[in-house]
Amino acid sequence: MRRGAVALLVLAAALIALPFVVTNEFYLNLASQILIYALLAVSLNLLVGYGGLVSLGHASFLGLTAYAATLFVGWGTGQLGAALIAVVFSTLCGALFGVLALRATGIGFLMITLALGQIVWGIAYRANTLTDGDNGLRYPARPRPFGLDISSAPTFYWFTLAVFAIAVFVIWRLTRSPFGAALQGARDQPRRMRMLGHNVWLIQWLAFVLAAFWGSIAGLLYVYYNLFISPHAISLQQSAEVLLMAILGGASSFAGPIVGAVIITLVKNVVSSYVDRWNSLLGAIFVVVILFMPFGIVPGVRQLLARWRKPAKIPERAA
Amino acid sequence: MSIATGTPALEVLGLQKRFGGLPATRDVSLTVMPGERRLIIGPNGAGKTTLFNLITGDLTPDAGSVKLFGQELLRIPTQQRVHLGLARTYQILTLFPKETLCHNVVLALLGLDRMRWNIWTVLSGQNHLYDAAREALALVGLGAIADRTVAETSYGERRRLEMAMALAQRPKVLLLDEPLAGLSQEERQQVRDLLGKVPRDVTIVMIEHDMDSALAFAERITLLHYGEVIVEGTRAEVVADPRTKEVYLGE
Repeated sequence: MRRGAVALLVLAAALIALPFVVTNEFYLNLASQILIYALLAVSLNLLVGYGGLVSLGHASFLGLTAYAATLFVGWGTGQLGAALIAVVFSTLCGALFGVLALRATGIGFLMITLALGQIVWGIAYRANTLTDGDNGLRYPARPRPFGLDISSAPTFYWFTLAVFAIAVFVIWRLTRSPFGAALQGARDQPRRMRMLGHNVWLIQWLAFVLAAFWGSIAGLLYVYYNLFISPHAISLQQSAEVLLMAILGGASSFAGPIVGAVIITLVKNVVSSYVDRWNSLLGAIFVVVILFMPFGIVPGVRQLLARWRKPAKIPERAA
Repeated sequence: MSIATGTPALEVLGLQKRFGGLPATRDVSLTVMPGERRLIIGPNGAGKTTLFNLITGDLTPDAGSVKLFGQELLRIPTQQRVHLGLARTYQILTLFPKETLCHNVVLALLGLDRMRWNIWTVLSGQNHLYDAAREALALVGLGAIADRTVAETSYGERRRLEMAMALAQRPKVLLLDEPLAGLSQEERQQVRDLLGKVPRDVTIVMIEHDMDSALAFAERITLLHYGEVIVEGTRAEVVADPRTKEVYLGE
């Protein structure tokens, strides 16, 4: 554990120092994007990994927040007001979607989340007067949180990193909390959990709402980064990609979705400038990883490390 | 023996349940007084576990009523019945295999603790929960292996873990579904000793397929056959009843 804490501190220092090393704006902006998608993937993994509830509509919370923030800024609520309204609105939608989706579990749950995600996408695409359809909406300018200017690539990166760190820490605490234990119990043995006095439905619904809330925070970062939102950002492909991040990195581990977000965002943005068929490459990576590490990269690497360490221990015992 | 008067701990009235065309529970009524040790016996398929599932709310009956200390349970969801003092063990083990025995009992304790909604506190730092869990495990003789995962334990140990989880909740009415099944002679004796130690403010209803192994425990016995109550009475009455021999011991 102590070694882990040191590694975490080194990683944090490296992340904070990144803008001094990476001076190329393209790559620094890429780092901001990775953090945004990593937060979205970590929030989704509350449902997928910890709740056993596979959702194919999680990008809709990113979109609901981004659209609401843009619209309300346009209607003159101010930056902070728009941000608050957007996150509350999106989380409330999450509360409603949770009620609908939790009518079922397993494939049924997946199909309902897919349908809800498609409805949100459909509204964004069709409600021209409100959303300008396929053209999307412009967000006027990045806010100035606490008077800080975050318009440049490095400052926005630090801002995103700070939000990401706080969010991920709070979510990490949740996974170690009594509620986190109950959520995982409800995933493994829902019937037994009821017989122990746990309200399985309420546990899963709260997890859904919390996942929607943190997804909404990612949505806020998304619209601040791009200063633009269009239906493309909340298409089924986007929801599937976020799910892929969680599964590729390893939904059973906390860090898995973050690793998945790093790989997929890099492949999408860097490799795609060299290879036309980057989607095929992503598919190939996915197949190879799942073939050799069926539980994803982070649990897979952990297993490999454990295997390397073990043979070294056996002679010690014999001696 | 004298039967106490007052509100029954558990009262089942005219309970009916069909699975398709197959009646699993036919007009079952039984009354268990506080502190009583009741044995429910019957051959395979007599509807014993179905009866438990109807009492806990895992299944909804087609007709009839279930009362816990006079309170009607039918419209109350399972988890709420647990908060009213009902606990059960399962015949088919439903534990959390990757977790430690201690964590399994902690989940049972959390079920009745408001802390289960806490999303911030680190659970593993909650010493009072883990101490209580270890205490419950020690009671069933699993204190020494509390930190093993369920996957690393034997069948007999898992059965006792089931008991520890139920007892840790300090229930008023405890439903035990074949707690002796699949155990060695030695383990059976341990479980019987354990049951003997359960205080009298806990009412126990126990299902057993094998009558002999649980006879000593029972004060009153209910014999189920094809979903119906055939005989009910004191241990001596039921054992002596010719119908018991016919449906149960005879063949």
